[in-house]
Amino acid sequence: MKSVISSLSRLLSSREISSAELTDKYISAIESRNPELNAYVHTTFEEAKKNSAAADKMLKEGGASPLCGIPMTLKDNIATDGLPTTCCSKILQGFKPYYDATVWRKLKACGAVLLGKTNMDEFAMGSTSETSVYGAPSNPRNLQRVTGGSSGGGAAAVCANLAAYALGSDTGGSIRQPAAFCGVVGFKPTYGAVSRYGLIAYGSSLDQIGPITNSVTDAAVVYDAIRGEDEKDMTSCPTEKGKTILTPDVKGLKIGLADEFFDGLDTEIKSAVENAVKKYEKAGAQVMRISIPALKLALPVYYIIACAEASSNLGRYDGIRYGYRAQSYSSVDDMVVKTRTQGFGKEVQKRIMLGTYVLSSGYFDAYYKKACIIRESLRAQLKSAFGTCDVLIAPTAPNTAFVKGYTGGNAIEMYLSDVCTVPVNIGGLPAISLPCGKDKNGLPIGMQIIGDVFEDGKVLSAAYFAEEEKLCELEEVQGGVSL
Amino acid sequence: MAITEKEIKTLARLARLDFDDERCREFSGEFGEIIAFADRINAQVGGATSDIREVGGREIAYGDLRDDEVKESLLNEKVLSNVQSEGGFFPVRRVVK
Repeated sequence: MKSVISSLSRLLSSREISSAELTDKYISAIESRNPELNAYVHTTFEEAKKNSAAADKMLKEGGASPLCGIPMTLKDNIATDGLPTTCCSKILQGFKPYYDATVWRKLKACGAVLLGKTNMDEFAMGSTSETSVYGAPSNPRNLQRVTGGSSGGGAAAVCANLAAYALGSDTGGSIRQPAAFCGVVGFKPTYGAVSRYGLIAYGSSLDQIGPITNSVTDAAVVYDAIRGEDEKDMTSCPTEKGKTILTPDVKGLKIGLADEFFDGLDTEIKSAVENAVKKYEKAGAQVMRISIPALKLALPVYYIIACAEASSNLGRYDGIRYGYRAQSYSSVDDMVVKTRTQGFGKEVQKRIMLGTYVLSSGYFDAYYKKACIIRESLRAQLKSAFGTCDVLIAPTAPNTAFVKGYTGGNAIEMYLSDVCTVPVNIGGLPAISLPCGKDKNGLPIGMQIIGDVFEDGKVLSAAYFAEEEKLCELEEVQGGVSL
Repeated sequence: MAITEKEIKTLARLARLDFDDERCREFSGEFGEIIAFADRINAQVGGATSDIREVGGREIAYGDLRDDEVKESLLNEKVLSNVQSEGGFFPVRRVVK
């Protein structure tokens, strides 16, 4: 894994390259490769030039952040004042927010350079980024394959070196799974560690913003820049003071392997994760097999809660205040119905309907309330697991990148691909995905390291061991900015 | 659990969506599979449910509210910038003749 941010930061602070020159390199690379990859859905090159000029001034003055002058990208559901933010949905076509998300405000203050907004599943609902109204992005490691989702554009941009890093959002695995499919690093921080002010809501009790990077070191740098309490997000919490210290020493680290994550798993993926665990064991980590029975119910619980919250959150799209509005209607109510029917894609409509169903009179107790009870039971079991283990290691996904257009045999098969990632969101836990091998088709396999709440530093350090040990080195994708 | 096309129409009305007959048929098939999947939780947790007293895993502490102070907020003209505003309002076409 290559620490792109650290390398670029060195070049910028030693003035070997200016941020303006570096930004131009990224712009040329995007212009040449994006038509094929479709990672960016809105480029913001004018903004990038303004940002880089400001960054060069900050660099000249000295004492700048390690992110100063470094070109990056944001998922298309993170609000940027005056710049398009559409959640890759027809219903938000043309929408330009009138304020910055806290994460972008913080990064801008560090001197970050925004190259554009990246492709995603519509309203972050999907596992392949194919529900985007702009069409699917392509996996830079194999153009016939999907990037994963929902932050697929960000993962593709980082993988193809069309951005030094990306911010994505993760409601049920949307940072980690595309990172796994593209062979990069994706970090979902603890629920509350990073402000979500300005993140367009999907499932509010699950959503979290986090970085997609080329290395664990880079993920820690970005995480440090965006974390902390924010009065504009009541769910945000104070985090540890000072920067995250990464230590690759895993001697005595207690690693839990929960049987439920490995039962019935594809053999190639299972052996890639188990081989990685052996390296930890060899370096002195203590590995223990455990059982967390409630993990088996995590997936239906996730879909009930996420869809219930989505049906409520997406109630605001009525065509009145922003975005798309139906052209022909007979009353205000008719306008709202037609706008929503024409503006939302099929998957989003399906999830709104499911959410409406589980919240409706007669079904609320049977589904939503029971899902909340099982959520608490899963949280209690996870808490108990972290009483004996420091971290859990699991596969990120039960499969590698799908062939484009694959929909599975029935309505729920694609949902099953989230089986390893959703428990983390239900528990509000921090987790990182990093590459741990390749399958027979040469596609990357992702491994997850999961920690207890607010143990983000421990998760990053445990992953840093893999980086230092060069546990899995993937070939660099050509055509992007090379250092 | 089967879900009828009539129930789909009712749900769509609640969700402020509208489906034609073909989409309703398509939906009722997919929905049945998804509801059967969600029903796995009912196989595990039977009987009555208790009240939910937590939001996002945290106890709701009603006494712990911040002071109701007026703080800086978004400017009206910016909030209206995504529509062709008329006199500081969000316009819709006249529907009352």
